[in-house]
Amino acid sequence: MMRSAAWRISFWAALAFTFGTILIFVVLDRFVANDIQRRSDAWLSGEVEVLGDVAEHTPNDALYNRVVSEVAELASREVPNREIAAQPADETAENDSVFFLQVGSDGALKLWVGQGDGPTHLKAIVGSRFSFDRPASIRVEGFSTPFRVAAMRLGDGSRVYLGLSERDERRVLSNLRVRISLLWLSLVLLGFAIVFYTARRTLKHVRDITEAASRIGQSDLKTRVPFARTNDEIAQLAHTLNHMLDRIEATVEQLHTITGSLAHDLRSPLTAIRGKLETSLEGTRDAKQLEAIASSIEELDRLTDFLNTSLDVAEARANALRLKPVEIDLDELLRSMMTLYEPSMSEKGLAISLHSSGPLYIVADEGLIHRMIANLFDNELKHLTPGCTVAVQLSQQDDATEVRIEDDGAGFDQETLAHLFVRRVRGRDSHGHGLGLAFVDAVARAHHGSVQASNRAGGGIRIEVVLPRQAPRDVVVG
Amino acid sequence: MRLLLVEDERDIQTFLEQALTEAGYGVDVALDGRTAEELAATNPYDILIVDLGLPDQDGIDLITRLHQIGVKAPVLILSARRSLDDRVRGLEQGGDDYLTKPFALAELLARLRNLLKRNAPQGSETTRLRVQDLELDLLRREATRAGRVLQLTPQEFVLLEYLCRNAGRVVTRSMILEKVWGMRIQPDTNVVDVHIYRLRGKVDGNGQQPLIRTLRGVGYVLKDR
Repeated sequence: MMRSAAWRISFWAALAFTFGTILIFVVLDRFVANDIQRRSDAWLSGEVEVLGDVAEHTPNDALYNRVVSEVAELASREVPNREIAAQPADETAENDSVFFLQVGSDGALKLWVGQGDGPTHLKAIVGSRFSFDRPASIRVEGFSTPFRVAAMRLGDGSRVYLGLSERDERRVLSNLRVRISLLWLSLVLLGFAIVFYTARRTLKHVRDITEAASRIGQSDLKTRVPFARTNDEIAQLAHTLNHMLDRIEATVEQLHTITGSLAHDLRSPLTAIRGKLETSLEGTRDAKQLEAIASSIEELDRLTDFLNTSLDVAEARANALRLKPVEIDLDELLRSMMTLYEPSMSEKGLAISLHSSGPLYIVADEGLIHRMIANLFDNELKHLTPGCTVAVQLSQQDDATEVRIEDDGAGFDQETLAHLFVRRVRGRDSHGHGLGLAFVDAVARAHHGSVQASNRAGGGIRIEVVLPRQAPRDVVVG
Repeated sequence: MRLLLVEDERDIQTFLEQALTEAGYGVDVALDGRTAEELAATNPYDILIVDLGLPDQDGIDLITRLHQIGVKAPVLILSARRSLDDRVRGLEQGGDDYLTKPFALAELLARLRNLLKRNAPQGSETTRLRVQDLELDLLRREATRAGRVLQLTPQEFVLLEYLCRNAGRVVTRSMILEKVWGMRIQPDTNVVDVHIYRLRGKVDGNGQQPLIRTLRGVGYVLKDR
């Protein structure tokens, strides 16, 4: 799942989308925060002017404090950004976000309206190098959020300050941020889902093509990969593959025709020659002539055998060797091949032994396996010198079966070893036609198995044939 | 025994006609499918040999047509095509046996005999075989020559039995491999010869008249007289 292309594409797309939206939201957030700030400042500036006006024009008598406090109190009820739901019901708590402060021309606190302690606020304001031009944020001891403070100088040299807690402003902003974050998260998830779905849909076509192609690779060259009606890149891939398959099929077809006609053209004269030789053998009494005719027939049979095996190797290389898989017991097959070869081996002074742990069933073409083992045994018989031993070992590993043949002879020389499975290369003392291991290789491949040949460390050769337990079902091509 | 040979290659047709006549068959020859059809319609043949590559039609089509006009005789197919598909197709479409070119005459004759035997009423299964002074007891798996028991391995007994059943007739190496070992292989070593050599040592070993003869280039024969 994590390694699928759909997952990867969606991951990177979502990542890019996430960063993009984060950037947009940060800009938006800055903009909104500034706007809120600006609105508070405008209110503060307006109110402080009103309050300053009131303070200046109210007679400085016993009622002064009362009147100005009253006005300041009223003003504080019109605080901006205050949400109704967040508004506490009682009056006292209402005022904790606003304070009003008047300082006399001598710098002493003249009037204080608000929660907390007047001098502390005054100290904070004085300590902050406050400017009268525009409102500023001031941190006051004992309050978690700073105050936004606007000020005004009155004609008599005193100053009035109006402070507004930034608490409400911040609450509005944080509410906004929570909403934006939720929106952002759902957008990202939605985006991811859409990209993932689209990518999967597209890649499913690719997977279909892969599956079809692997089916074709294993068995049927006539099948074609599926393609959608749209003319996108995937459909083009399918078209290209199909075009390639057309050409391969045509080539295999051609090979069939060539091997077929080659076989026919050679077989008919071979039959005629063999027949004539056989009939003339009957009428001959002269020993010398008999010998000549008999050896001609034998040579002819070898030529036929070479032709047959050669065509089989060619067909197997082109993946066109027709298999007729049946269930066979390799253990029994090897034993019966050994009863056939044992006399010839012992006649030549060779010993042969089989190590097997009982019946071992595989599904394979019996005739081809017979010929493959015969080839391997023939090779041993031809190349080994008297006194050598051949050890055949049958073993099973997971889904594969291994036939291992080892001997203690001279081994392959380096030149032979390098081209072992190539046709027509022979061991130095070979009298065979050099198709042995090429044929073994071809049979193993036709069964989706493999062959390895090497020299053993202690001298002698080792050939390992690995066959799957289940042969490919009816390989029919062309 | 009347035999119809359908083969267009002159060379092959000539030597086959000669060999089959020598083997005791009355041979008619057709060079193409049409002639074959005409001959088969008017003559009651016991067996037919049909080459698949005829000039005017496919051999398999001919066999189908012959069956349609009521020819019941067994058909041996000759073909240059060797692959399994062709073999199966040939046998499915009415051929009774299949032989690939090139072939040994001995094998052709053996297959013809088998086909004729298959069609003949079956006699009771023999339990003893006798060729001159060689005797095989098929139940006790014991062979004696002039009354003396031969010490044979089971494999050697099967080989000797096969030779006895074909006494007086040539058997080839590939026939022995197929019938005795059940393998269609062509070893390029002398594995079969060594088996025959060993068997001969036991059967003909006591200075008696040799029974097993080697015909070089052809095969082996167990002499019946």
